[in-house]
Amino acid sequence: MTTTTPAIGSVTRTAPGGTDRRTPGSPRRRAGWAGLVFIVPGFALYLLVIGWPAVQALLISLRDYKITPGAESPWIGLANYTRALHDPVLARSFVNAGVYMLTTVPTQILIGLGLAVLLDTVLPGRTLFRVLFYLPVVTSWVVVSLLFQYLFATDHGVVNWFLVDVLGVVGHPVNWLGQRWTAMVAIGALGVWKGVGWSMLIFLAALTGVPRELHEAAALDGAGAWRRFKHVSMPFIRPTMVTVVILLVIGGFNVFTSVLLMTNGGPLDQTQVPLTYMYRQAFGYLDFGYGSAISFLLTGLVLVIAGLQYWWARRTADGGAK
Amino acid sequence: MIAGPRSRRVTVAGVRYALLIGAAVVLALPFGYMVSTSLKAHTLLLEYPPRLIPKSPTLDNYTQAWGANNFGRYFLNSASVAVATTVGTVLLASMMAYGFARFRFPGKGVLFGTVVVGLTIPTMLLIIPQFLLAKNLGLLDSLPGLVPFYVGTQIAFSTFLLRAFFEQIPMELDEAMVIDGAGAWRRYWNLAIPLSKPALATVAIFTFLGSWDEFVWALTVINDVSKRTLPIGIALFQGQHGTSWGLVFAASVIAVVPVIAVYVTFQRQLVAGLTNGALKS
Amino acid sequence: MFSTARRTALTAIGAAAALALTLTACSSGGGAGAAQTPIASAGATISGTVTFWHAYSADSQEVKTLETVIIPKFEQLHPGVKVTDVAVPYDQLHQKLVTAVAGDTLPDLVRSDIMWVPELADLGVLVPLDQQMPDFSTYSAQVYKGALATNAWKGHYYGLPLDTNTRVLLYNSDALAKAGITTPPATFADLRADAPKLTAAGVSTFADNSTSGWNVLPWIWSAGGAVTDDEVTKATGYLNSAASVAGVQLLVDLYKQKAIPDIILGGTGGTATSDGLATGKYATILDGPWMYPIFASQYPQFQLKAAPVPSGDGGSISVVGGESVVLTKSSKNKDAAAEFLRYLLSQDAQLAMAKVGQMPVLSNLGDQLTSINAYYGPFVTQLATARPRTPTPAWPKIDDILKAQIQKALQGDVSVQDALDQAAAQIDPLLAKYAG
Repeated sequence: MTTTTPAIGSVTRTAPGGTDRRTPGSPRRRAGWAGLVFIVPGFALYLLVIGWPAVQALLISLRDYKITPGAESPWIGLANYTRALHDPVLARSFVNAGVYMLTTVPTQILIGLGLAVLLDTVLPGRTLFRVLFYLPVVTSWVVVSLLFQYLFATDHGVVNWFLVDVLGVVGHPVNWLGQRWTAMVAIGALGVWKGVGWSMLIFLAALTGVPRELHEAAALDGAGAWRRFKHVSMPFIRPTMVTVVILLVIGGFNVFTSVLLMTNGGPLDQTQVPLTYMYRQAFGYLDFGYGSAISFLLTGLVLVIAGLQYWWARRTADGGAK
Repeated sequence: MIAGPRSRRVTVAGVRYALLIGAAVVLALPFGYMVSTSLKAHTLLLEYPPRLIPKSPTLDNYTQAWGANNFGRYFLNSASVAVATTVGTVLLASMMAYGFARFRFPGKGVLFGTVVVGLTIPTMLLIIPQFLLAKNLGLLDSLPGLVPFYVGTQIAFSTFLLRAFFEQIPMELDEAMVIDGAGAWRRYWNLAIPLSKPALATVAIFTFLGSWDEFVWALTVINDVSKRTLPIGIALFQGQHGTSWGLVFAASVIAVVPVIAVYVTFQRQLVAGLTNGALKS
Repeated sequence: MFSTARRTALTAIGAAAALALTLTACSSGGGAGAAQTPIASAGATISGTVTFWHAYSADSQEVKTLETVIIPKFEQLHPGVKVTDVAVPYDQLHQKLVTAVAGDTLPDLVRSDIMWVPELADLGVLVPLDQQMPDFSTYSAQVYKGALATNAWKGHYYGLPLDTNTRVLLYNSDALAKAGITTPPATFADLRADAPKLTAAGVSTFADNSTSGWNVLPWIWSAGGAVTDDEVTKATGYLNSAASVAGVQLLVDLYKQKAIPDIILGGTGGTATSDGLATGKYATILDGPWMYPIFASQYPQFQLKAAPVPSGDGGSISVVGGESVVLTKSSKNKDAAAEFLRYLLSQDAQLAMAKVGQMPVLSNLGDQLTSINAYYGPFVTQLATARPRTPTPAWPKIDDILKAQIQKALQGDVSVQDALDQAAAQIDPLLAKYAG
């Protein structure tokens, strides 16, 4: 295997001459009907099981939808959307998810990347550490949310014990899960804890692709670890970084299970996020029209943000290259 | 710089280990708690405050969880669905990602945009339309019927991720193969796939986990008791008023084993860059 | 004062009046029902399969009794019939039912939470048993009235209760003794009198973990209040009556004196009612019969004791919980399904389930129950007057409104009167939507 596997390192060294060798038959120029052949099987399945249901859901959002087969579901145009735009709880839920996204995404990236860098080396016990860091990702949601409820419990919680008895920075136990922002802190902590193993794994895969000899060459030039990371690794994993950021931003806005299990949006809808609110409207009140409208508003917002990020990333990448 | 590179290297290794061990403790502790609770007998309520070391550990929960209502069967059901989903997703998503990363054709932007839109749509919302679709396709109450829905759900994410990795592969390699007369399929299979093993391994790990843990869809479409998947089996231990937490936690620990096995197997690919460097040969 | 007395009298006959009304309505609806295919009478020859969804947890005694005692016995009585039971995790049963409604894939029979029956009936997927089951009245006459009333929707009965329960006052006598109190609080006045003593002793007088209907209705009803009129058409004048206000005011006053802990606001993270009661942190809670096995396994040293819900001007009135069994319109084998339903309500099946903690719905079994499980006693007594939460498909929303408004009153943002005025004003249009 190792002999047939082309090594990335050899490529980078021949790269400068690469452009000269481009021929009319080069993949970059070739009109891509072959590309369509690669895309069609997966795309067809995707259209069938996600695309088609999504179109149905979009139509549901324009109706006063009744779930019983054969029941009349009158068209009501954009009424569900206008209702959503005037719903103060929904507005709060978007703010909560936005704050959650803004705080957890950078933290997850920093810690995940840090762990990946620490592990991207020949190191005794490497596999063990990789497994330990991945454990939060595979531990069941029910278990971890119970545990975080304990950590942030008011009376005997570890966090309060640490703050009140050990540090003495607050005089009395904090009612973490009973108030909006303190509860969001607990939910955010759970999100980061459960998520760092995920981003670590992707960064690890990306760092694996960084040619070793580039590092060695840089080291010979006297570059320290930080400079090697900044000038050798970072440019190489840049596309992965952009991808991870976009995926995490999408995931941040779509936070659901942790909120459902930790606070279920309460107390008084203070910790509601769009998906918990949507779930209650759809499956609690059977208002699928409104639930769908909420989902598509969320999708629209996330698409705009992800699109802006993508555009910005491409632009700065091009600017940096030329 | 000049003074003792060796002692410096030792310090660096020391700091590295200190950080790794600190992180490991924080990240692995809840899992330890899960294992510890699974060794405690008769816990209808959780111990409060929690205790990490059980007083009189017992494996009763494990034998009981495994023996209860066909647990072994659910395990096999989940395993076969997860393997099929992983193979299907990795194959189809890597092909799609390759198509998007390496070719230009009219409508590519629209197609890729559709994939990205799919990433942002909450799948919870799609349950009713998907259920009607599965009914029309005759895929209700069927284990193989779960697979296309699982692949479809995971394919957008996997394609998006793999495309970024494929773009990391220098174009010049493809061009070299074109000169040698290699067609698109050979460039995909003999070049992109072997070079992207770390990325494919990552996608495989996530896909396996996603399928293995999936709960809502399986619960919605599966009725036949013998076709249940593992997460349904575990959720059934949770009662309306009291839950046998020892059983839930023991079953959850059992469920983690294959996921870790898959992870350990595939993550070996994540050291490829350290060992196959061409300079060493 | 006059209005309070009037309300008390009215609500005392509330359940009976509601029942009389719905029964009148169904006899008048009989003409329409005659056109539909009636279900075979008891004892008719039946065959085929019956699918039954329920939410008994895996490995529980309930599911073992169902699968090894009840179903085999039934199949022995009816050799041509096969009953397939499907366990669905409780937390997901509602979602699964909703999807099955949309896909027209419901099973023959469902053991449904009593609060879902009006919703499912309104969706048009349930068989009105009073119209189509020839011997319906035989069964409806045998069960607790409060439990039966939960199956009514728009003048018809869409299910029969299968098991029932209610909340009584569970207390920790050691915790009470710390404040020199020897008997559990029997009235609202006792609670108010005990509170300062218990607070001084570092014990919460009462604890609960939410302000939903299940939690606060015993206080509203015991004070003589109500949520709606008997015809379930409006809340204004009922939920915000002086009597209803008095029930909630008790909770608010105790909360302000710190005699009720913060967990009543519904936030997670505080000490759970069960842990607090067993450890002496809370003196009293309201809870159901399932707590006995839980305490026995978790806190074997703790002596759990029960008393009636403390009474106010309206008496000692608790809330009915439990499950009903419903027959779906999409059932392909209604005759066999109805026969299994009848068997589930038979004395044999009810007593078998009673042994594993499910309280029977047959009111004449009350005396036998204490010999099966001594702890059933206080619950049987309480059930005699216990009432159902408002049977309406709008209940999930009404419940959330109640929860939110009472929380605001507890937090002191608004007065109890204002909170309940608000709640009633929000509930009225919901009821109107289903009234037509």
